[in-house]
Amino acid sequence: MASHILIVEDDERIRASMGLALEDEGYDVVEAGSGEEALERFAQSLAFEPLDLVIIDIMLPGMDGFECCREVRRQSVVPIIMVTARTDTHDIVAGLEAGADDYVTKPFEPKELAARIRALLRRARSTEGGPSTLTFGDLEIMPEAGVVRLAGDEVHLTRTEFLLLCELASNHGKVLSREQLLERVWSYDYFGDGRLVDVHVRRLRTKVEPDPANPRYVLTVRGLGYKLAP
Amino acid sequence: MPTGDRLRRLVGRRGTHPAQRRIGRFGLRARITAGFAFGALVLSLLITSITYFTTSSSIVAQDKRSLELQALANATSLYESVYARGPEIVLPNVIGLSDELRSPTSYSLIYVDSLRAWFGSSPFTFSMGDLPVSLRAMTLHGTSAEQMFSFHGTPHFAVGIALPLGAYYFGVFSLSQATDTLHVLLASLIAAAVVTTLLGAALGRWAAGRTLRPLRDVSQAASSIASGMLDTRLETVGARDLASLTLSFNRMADRLQQRIERDARFTSDVSHELRSPLTTLATSLSVIESRRDELPERAQRALDLLGAEVRRFQRMVRDLLEISRFDARSADFAAESVEVGDLLRHAFAPAGHEPVPVRIDPADDHRELLVDKRRIERIFGNLIENADRYAGGVTQVTVETGDHFVRVFVDDSGPGIPPADRDRVFERFARGAGTAGSRGAGAGTGLGLALAQEHVRLHGGRVWATDSPSGGARFIVELPISLPAPGDGDGGDDPLAKTTGAGR
Repeated sequence: MASHILIVEDDERIRASMGLALEDEGYDVVEAGSGEEALERFAQSLAFEPLDLVIIDIMLPGMDGFECCREVRRQSVVPIIMVTARTDTHDIVAGLEAGADDYVTKPFEPKELAARIRALLRRARSTEGGPSTLTFGDLEIMPEAGVVRLAGDEVHLTRTEFLLLCELASNHGKVLSREQLLERVWSYDYFGDGRLVDVHVRRLRTKVEPDPANPRYVLTVRGLGYKLAP
Repeated sequence: MPTGDRLRRLVGRRGTHPAQRRIGRFGLRARITAGFAFGALVLSLLITSITYFTTSSSIVAQDKRSLELQALANATSLYESVYARGPEIVLPNVIGLSDELRSPTSYSLIYVDSLRAWFGSSPFTFSMGDLPVSLRAMTLHGTSAEQMFSFHGTPHFAVGIALPLGAYYFGVFSLSQATDTLHVLLASLIAAAVVTTLLGAALGRWAAGRTLRPLRDVSQAASSIASGMLDTRLETVGARDLASLTLSFNRMADRLQQRIERDARFTSDVSHELRSPLTTLATSLSVIESRRDELPERAQRALDLLGAEVRRFQRMVRDLLEISRFDARSADFAAESVEVGDLLRHAFAPAGHEPVPVRIDPADDHRELLVDKRRIERIFGNLIENADRYAGGVTQVTVETGDHFVRVFVDDSGPGIPPADRDRVFERFARGAGTAGSRGAGAGTGLGLALAQEHVRLHGGRVWATDSPSGGARFIVELPISLPAPGDGDGGDDPLAKTTGAGR
């Protein structure tokens, strides 16, 4: 079955050309010209055919991309790719903080966007194998069921956060560099953007750490990377 | 690069600007100090000489008067003694008398007509021949006289008095006491003049410093602007006369900053505006390219041309945006600590390119380097692209490390770069000298090496071109090794010290 992708982009021509290109790749494309329209389409899709991925341009008239991103994230764990105009730390970190899983910068190569989409969709489907439950103190991780519990209560993680946690959990006690995490969680090469890892770790901590400012589970190893405390 | 050019034209290069060579040997401050010192010197010399001459003449006049009186007293006592004993002057009376008139600082001489003889106070250190001739002549003719004269190098004062009955008294007094006083006075006056001159110089220096301080501030502000701190302004406090200078200086700096920023923003704005149509172009092109086989042969060739140009256009906009961030000084630096070997092996294996082997000493392989990985990738990616375009590709990559730097030698086997062009190749839109003007298929953006240089500079390193020992060109990238500061405990969000700052 074809994956459903929502494109949120105010430039009509870009939207139309992206639609053509993504349909060529075999996806079903839903288009929205504004943040408000995007949320409408998103609500409709929940009713009958859930979306598999959302692409949001940050620069939107009216409700901006960050807000749209936050709203979608509030309702769902669907993978989000944001399209930014700038590579500045500020925009990218703000977009990732708003809930995006990955980003591309304009003008992007269509191949690059297709690769990012494939990586996110493939990931969303494959989390098989490994032990059924991993326990770290109050933290319980069930990779196959896709469930994480903290002190018995279920924690809602996005796919990216979940995969990041699973990756750290299955290598618990070992330090994973940002390059390794980028490669395993995002399918990026050595030159991927380390900010992706940093922001997702930060978000993960707010969900699984009793005190995110003083983490107990997801630890920083300065100069090397991250590890999950055994 | 209009901004860079303009800035340079406005401020000139340090030390080589013609205006700077015309500046005199002495500064304003030294000249003002010298002026004050000279004024003080002239004034104190004037006061010294006036004081000295009036004082000396009054002292001498006073001395003369008292000596005259003494001479008169001597003559009177002589007269009384000589004539008390009778109207005749007899030898024994006179001989005893001159001894009575003795004193350590004076001599007395008596001439008696009737005896035709000179008598002097003993010891006989002063004889009649030592008397000034004119004084002697005048007195012996019967007119009393007085005269200053020099005896044994010291000033003396002589008084001649004609007594009745053919006797003459000559009193000679040393003036050495008065001259000693005058010498002391002169010495203290000269000392006072020297002190006054020095004080004048010090006052001049202080006044010059005070007066020139605003100028110094202006000069400092100007050189700070020249060095790139465009938001430098002068404080508007200070004397009223300087307010207009401060005001116009600040206005000039405002205009300059606006202009430079506008230029930098213009490039960035243009590139931003080009991005949306470019995205549509590239995306639509990819749709057509996926159906390339369905097109007739001539359309396929046209499509390939279109594809190559769109991609070049896209790279150019990307490079322009990147370089405009350097110009606007908003380039951020995402520092990460990485191992040299890993970094370079990845950088020399860019996507869609055959990996270039990197020769590195295994001992250096794990040395840590604090870099922005994306920028390092761009530096070497651009060098590889440059070698591909102009020199048939990179032939060898060698790594050398020192205590404080890593040097990467990127060699090719092309025609090399003539020494005159070795700086020029890093300029924007400069083309390889040998192939000037010829833009073959897949021509670059013209910004590759310029950007590489900016990226290297942002790391605090440098890049330059030279000859490769195996013929061809060699590009050398030197990056400083600076390990991140020791960790300040856990709990930070990032595993690495992350620095963000404006470039250069």
